[in-house]
Amino acid sequence: MPEPSDQDPDRPSQSLDADRLDTLVGAVARDRDRTAFAALFRHFAPKILHYCLRLGADRSTAEELVQDVMLTVWLKAGSFDPAQATVGTWVFTIARNRRIDRLRKEMRPAPDPADPAMTPQSHATPEESAQLVQSSRHLQEAIGSLAANQSEVLRRSYFLEQTHEEIAEDTEMPLGTVKTRLRLALGHLKRSLGDKA
Amino acid sequence: MTLPLHHPEDQLLIGYASGQERAGKSLLVATHLAYCPDCRRRVASFEALCGSWFEELPCNDHDGLDALLDRMDGLLAAGGAPAEAKPSRPLAAGSLGGRPVPEPLRSWLPEAIDTPTDDGSWREISKGVWLSGWERTLSGTTICLLRMASGAPVPAHRHTADELLLVLQGAFSDEYGSYALGDVAQYVADTDHHAQGASEEDCICLFLLDGELIFLDEEGNPA
Ligand SMILES: [Zn+2]
Repeated sequence: MPEPSDQDPDRPSQSLDADRLDTLVGAVARDRDRTAFAALFRHFAPKILHYCLRLGADRSTAEELVQDVMLTVWLKAGSFDPAQATVGTWVFTIARNRRIDRLRKEMRPAPDPADPAMTPQSHATPEESAQLVQSSRHLQEAIGSLAANQSEVLRRSYFLEQTHEEIAEDTEMPLGTVKTRLRLALGHLKRSLGDKA
Repeated sequence: MTLPLHHPEDQLLIGYASGQERAGKSLLVATHLAYCPDCRRRVASFEALCGSWFEELPCNDHDGLDALLDRMDGLLAAGGAPAEAKPSRPLAAGSLGGRPVPEPLRSWLPEAIDTPTDDGSWREISKGVWLSGWERTLSGTTICLLRMASGAPVPAHRHTADELLLVLQGAFSDEYGSYALGDVAQYVADTDHHAQGASEEDCICLFLLDGELIFLDEEGNPA
């Protein structure tokens, strides 16, 4: 991948592409490669820090969370499955869970994939299976085609956990516009009737 | 096998994926996910969306992080203890009608929730309708079990906040449809709805309420 030739001090050696990130996680998993880990750290640590600071952590707690999350990346690299998610999404889910543990002092309930009581996808009838694929593709397309201004209110509302009022203030949009865009965004993502069995 | 037909609204699924949703409703969402491969895929897509937002976060704060990396390098050299996975609760626990309730709810439920109703573990609120003595409050949401005998209507009630039901056994119906294993019914504040048991065996649901639940007498006054 192309390296930026002149190093902008504000954006140091960023933008490892998805393939490169996969390779680095693979090297950590297989070879316990600390150089690869350092590259992952330089890529993700600032993002984790920003994420935690944005969601109310103080600086020292945010740094502890960075350490927690990156340690989990080190320890769990072997369980990362590139077929399931990108490295960025995987690291996000770790940061999300640690943040809930630590900042909210809550546990995050999640299904246990090893639980025999879970309904496996293979239990679906052929019609249901086709439906699942269709529904998933429909959502992917809908996410990909979200208008930028609708995606932005979704991001602020769910990812940055801003209230409608905070979004209105930050973006200098009228409150009504915030609500409308959020409603349009959710409408755009909605399961289509065909998805609903 | 029929997969669930009634799913949590996207607001809940996106909030669950992003981590914005609090523990109480997340428990219901996560348990629905155990029943619903469709919503599992949907949540994965929403997680990927959040992952793309995460990747867009700035990466320009290296002050202090280099020192942290140095400290961590020492930690990695020393090995670092792997985080252990919490074992699932045995299937025998938290069973309903012989079918085990999936995690994460199974770990929350009392050992035997379908015991006879006269042992004090169920409180009859009207003929054929019970609330469990088991009750938890999680991030401001009250969680208990609602049990409806076949044809028994839940008495008129008023709730000032969202109410959510997840079917764990049997089926119930209301004016909006019928709900079977794994299905979710969501009622926003102040909606009128009339649920009643619609299966031969008693219908048992996980029952979530954000605010207070007030049952009404025949005149519509708080009972
Ligand atoms: Zn579902």
